[in-house]
Amino acid sequence: MKMETHKKKPYMKAAIFGVISIASYVILFQNVGLVMEHFTRGGLYAALPVGSVFYFSFLHGAFASNVLEVIGLQAKKKR
Amino acid sequence: MKNVLIAIIGVLLVMSLASVALAGGGGPPEGVKTGVFTAVNPKDNTGVFKESGHEETVVLRFSESIDVESIALDKKMMISLGKVDGHEVIQEASRMFIGMKVEKILALLLIGLIGGLLSGFIGSGGAFVLTPSMMSLGVPGAVAVASNMCHKFPKAMVGAYKRFRYGQVDLKLGVTMAVSAIIGVQIGVQIQKWILHNWGNAGSNLYVSFVFVAVLVIVGGYVFYDAWKLSKGGDETKIPKLALALQKVKIPPMMHFKTAGVTMSAWVTLPIGLATGMLAATIAVGGFIGVPGMIYVVGASAIVASATELVVAFIMGFWGSIQWGISGLIDIRLTLLILAGSLFGVQLGALGTTYVKDYTVKIVMGAVMLIVAVSRGAKVPIYLADLGFMEVNANMGRVLNSISFWALVAALGTAGFIIAGAMIKGMMQAKAEESQALKEDAVRNG
Repeated sequence: MKMETHKKKPYMKAAIFGVISIASYVILFQNVGLVMEHFTRGGLYAALPVGSVFYFSFLHGAFASNVLEVIGLQAKKKR
Repeated sequence: MKNVLIAIIGVLLVMSLASVALAGGGGPPEGVKTGVFTAVNPKDNTGVFKESGHEETVVLRFSESIDVESIALDKKMMISLGKVDGHEVIQEASRMFIGMKVEKILALLLIGLIGGLLSGFIGSGGAFVLTPSMMSLGVPGAVAVASNMCHKFPKAMVGAYKRFRYGQVDLKLGVTMAVSAIIGVQIGVQIQKWILHNWGNAGSNLYVSFVFVAVLVIVGGYVFYDAWKLSKGGDETKIPKLALALQKVKIPPMMHFKTAGVTMSAWVTLPIGLATGMLAATIAVGGFIGVPGMIYVVGASAIVASATELVVAFIMGFWGSIQWGISGLIDIRLTLLILAGSLFGVQLGALGTTYVKDYTVKIVMGAVMLIVAVSRGAKVPIYLADLGFMEVNANMGRVLNSISFWALVAALGTAGFIIAGAMIKGMMQAKAEESQALKEDAVRNG
């Protein structure tokens, strides 16, 4: 009989991604005037909003993924 | 798989470069300007306006219906100009980027979470709730659509990645649909601009609401009816008649879609993609045609269709966001706040689909579409009144706005409720099956 090996919960990963993600949000919102001025300039500045969402999605997405795993919410395992 | 990914990245890069090169054609249409008021004069109903990208100021007259004293100074505004008695007059003026308060921030986080949950579960971007929700917070329509689109594509990327790992995404079908959808978006944008130019913001709102209601009622009603039939014991694996008939069309190029389990002429996927794109451009919702289209016209299962739609949403959202970004209409604060919630929601919704039957996805989709139809429908008389086609007194207006708002809340609540319930049930069942299987294993090896 195969024994079910339980994966260790990714507490560390969740914490690290969480800290970086939340810090990024705080920094952005503390400089919101400057950010809005540049992000809405149009033309080639479009790279700013588009690029920044990739950055936040990667970090925050990883944070969310690890938190869900820590809570115990995962996709149904196929037997 | 690697080749498809390289193809996607290649197409996206080319499109981005083309967008920047052709940027002269983008931006707000004639008659709509963005800029800042440096001064207003309530006595003669005028304002000093400095248009974005221009150094000089002009004096413009406001129409009688605008409360000049409430116009914010030195804040970016979007104004809509029209001719009255041969003179150019400002008919509408709204603040482009709303002020942020704690309640608005919390609302955006929550809306993002549930919108994401819905998106991960039924494949539709959640935009139909997010865009109207942002507008009810005071965000102008164009900024709401732009900011939502900028959040949609990264969220779709995360959702699509997760569902791809669960084996639910048909990448080839997604890319094929996305290509025709992009063409559809171009057509839709031209229609949208023409309406905004000729009928202003009120006309645009009316058009958007009409299309919303028509699509939601017809498609949502059918999806819900189909789901209800299946829940009563129908055969889930039966391919819809229309799909079967269309699969017989043999006009080349024939394409085989492995995960969907369908071989079909590329020409059949073309109208679905086009319609998805046109809808996405005009009302920022494409999934409500795309997903049912893949189910009933192509013949994919609801789970594969909703997963594949996320690929389409990613490609289109990315391309669309570049267009909006070039026009300077993305409010990154809104985008990031919604993203904060939706990145949790979309992953939760995605894993939820692994615990439910195919028809549950349809039930949620159909139910939400019908409730949102009521919400949008309630606004139609108000827009008609704005354009002068009918009378709506202040009381009636308040009641209708209330219905619209609470119906939206009900749609979100219903979705959250059904999805959460289905997931909990599915997870408990899975746990029970798991422990039963372990017991049997133990007995066998006993």
